[in-house]
Amino acid sequence: MRTSIKNGIRLGSIVGVVLIFFHLTGFSVVASSMLGNLLGNASRTANVTRLPIINLIIFITLLCIFAGGIASKNKEIDSWGNTLIPGAITGAFSGLLVAIFVYLIGIVYAQNIDLRNYLPEVGLPTINYLLFDGKKFASLLYFGLMTVGCIAGAAFFKSVIRADWRKKAQTTSVQTFKKFVKKSGIQKFIGNKITVYVFLAVAALLLYFLPTQWGPYWNYIMGTVGIYILLGLGLNIIVGLSGQLVLGYVAFFAIGAYAFGLMTALEPHAISMNFWLAIGFAILAAALTGILLGLPILNLRGDYLAIVTLGFGEIIRILIKSDMLTGFTNGPSGLNGLAQPRWLGNAFTDINFFHLIVIFVIVAIFIANRLQSSRTGRAWLAISADQTVAQATGINTFKYKLLALALGAAFAGLGGALFASRNQFTGPEDHILMVSINVLCLVIVGGMGSIPGVVVGAFVLKGVPELLRDLESYRLLAFGALLVVMMVMRPEGLWPKGRPALEALYYQKHPKDSPPDGEVQS
Amino acid sequence: MTETVIQTHKLSKIFGGLTAVDSVDLTVPERSIASIIGPNGAGKTTFFNCVSGFYTPEEGDVLFYGKPIQGNATDKICAMGISRTYQNIRLFSQMTAIENIIIGKHPRLKGTWLEAILHNPRYMNEEEEAVKEALHLLEFVGLEGLGDHLARNLPYGAQRRLEIARALANHPKLLLLDEPTAGMNSQETADMTAFIKSLRDDLGITILLIEHDMKVVMGISDQITVLDYGTKIAEGKPKEIQANQRVIEAYLGPGAAALSKKFQRKRSHDA
Repeated sequence: MRTSIKNGIRLGSIVGVVLIFFHLTGFSVVASSMLGNLLGNASRTANVTRLPIINLIIFITLLCIFAGGIASKNKEIDSWGNTLIPGAITGAFSGLLVAIFVYLIGIVYAQNIDLRNYLPEVGLPTINYLLFDGKKFASLLYFGLMTVGCIAGAAFFKSVIRADWRKKAQTTSVQTFKKFVKKSGIQKFIGNKITVYVFLAVAALLLYFLPTQWGPYWNYIMGTVGIYILLGLGLNIIVGLSGQLVLGYVAFFAIGAYAFGLMTALEPHAISMNFWLAIGFAILAAALTGILLGLPILNLRGDYLAIVTLGFGEIIRILIKSDMLTGFTNGPSGLNGLAQPRWLGNAFTDINFFHLIVIFVIVAIFIANRLQSSRTGRAWLAISADQTVAQATGINTFKYKLLALALGAAFAGLGGALFASRNQFTGPEDHILMVSINVLCLVIVGGMGSIPGVVVGAFVLKGVPELLRDLESYRLLAFGALLVVMMVMRPEGLWPKGRPALEALYYQKHPKDSPPDGEVQS
Repeated sequence: MTETVIQTHKLSKIFGGLTAVDSVDLTVPERSIASIIGPNGAGKTTFFNCVSGFYTPEEGDVLFYGKPIQGNATDKICAMGISRTYQNIRLFSQMTAIENIIIGKHPRLKGTWLEAILHNPRYMNEEEEAVKEALHLLEFVGLEGLGDHLARNLPYGAQRRLEIARALANHPKLLLLDEPTAGMNSQETADMTAFIKSLRDDLGITILLIEHDMKVVMGISDQITVLDYGTKIAEGKPKEIQANQRVIEAYLGPGAAALSKKFQRKRSHDA
């Protein structure tokens, strides 16, 4: 009983503060208008004064049901009392907090004070709306609504999503799924070569035809995702495999973009190199930069390496921008009119360009995948696990770390060149620190050292923000919250790396050599 | 006359003002098991680290088949054919057991990153041979069937043996074992002792061993070297070391030798 009161108060205070926060930032109004959009009782652009009150009530109730579900979750739910009491306490306490808050803004409303100087989202119409159309006893309504909502939530989770089922699902869902897969013959179906080919064919068809259907906007977004996959694959080699925390990855991106730009732009050099040659040149230039950067700093480890490379990224950007090199790089105004790819004399449309990026991504995944499972990849993983022991096991750590930097930089150079060519422009502001941070984020979110993780991470980091456009200015807030939740729930990443089952594979290939008992654990 | 595998000549390692290893001479002939014993802090592991290249000794030479190797990087020394294990197990814990062994084989493989991308026949052959040999080694250390488990998920004894398998994958001529039976129960210790013997007898590997368990040391060593405060205080066959006064004093303190003699007399009297 005591712990349930304590937990209820703790959770209740969180829920209360969250709702107050939503009210103050105006998110509650946005959520209500989104609900209106969903229910069809208000248009998306409707003014606060036109929003139906019921939407706000639904929003608060949903929040409370969710909170009630959480409140009842940690309990051993054997009786209704154990379920409902924590829910009731949570609801009552959060309701109390919100009621006090509502009472305060009620006073503000009654005195006609305009808060917008301090809180830009909380104007008088908004307060009017939050007070359920200026009701005098709104705080009582809030208290009642939240208490009932939390109890209802707890009851809902108790009766509909049954506790024992939930417990089972948490511990054995993976096993059950595996068993199901085995039993139902899906495994045979998945392992079948024909299935794989059909799947690949479908994927190829989709990648070919989708861009012609979804229009230039989505082509641009998905192209950016593709370029970020390239960058992620490169950084994954450096950070995920060889374990060197490089924060200045954008430097290689910039070198690639500028190598491409300087070779193809009319100003300042007018070299007018062919697109394909310039791409190759950009890759080489970036790889070379990787080696040159690596030579002096590879003896640094961990934090020190991170700081040095962070500085390197900034140095490159500032050099590009500087007056000193204006004659060479065109300074802050950047490079214009970069080369576009041509094939048999035809210029590329945005659809062709998307296809080009997809082809590069597929080739890059192929290369990264083969590297990862090779002698080189094993050496990188060993270095990232324990550099001292790796060296004592006969691995030339310097050589392999340098190789990782060069290859990772080459991927970034390709990404930079494609990015610059697609925009037909590149300037110093394309190469800010945020690019490095974003790429590092996508590698971590996807799962360090995992190639599918990079792909998933790139979609989440560059694709999901586009899907969240409905949230307007709250997009980044929601996105940040999503990232935090994701990292708390799955710290190892969305698609963590697995290791190849070499033993099982070998015996699959050579069944004659299997151990006598025939039992190969996998 | 058997060849000398490793020889140190007046080897000294100094940390600041502390001489951890003080002009130690040691000669290990081929196909033998040589043990280094001594109280805690005697400089055994430091001596190991000088031989395997972790430290560069301030003075003296380390000769491997007559060639000086001190000052080389650890990866070069490893490639010459000196493998080692560690006092605290240091496997690549995120990788599978079999991958650990294949990494141990790294200096004996030639595949480059370009070959890895191209998958040319030579590379594919080499990889398959590497897996095959790793499976053999896995069986040799008694871990068959556990190859695809992550190294960190293996039981303690298995991790010790896996570390040795990783060292063996390098086809070493000299194997340095740092307390291979630390933390093992008597059954596991007996297994490990037999296993180390078989390394010498079946594979012809020369072994240099640090060990605290006297039963193991006395049971398998061809030659024992005793270090105390960085200096060599005794060397010889197990029997000679057991009777050496300075050794007993180093372990049990001054005056202990007399006590132990008395004890021995009493014991023989009882018998």
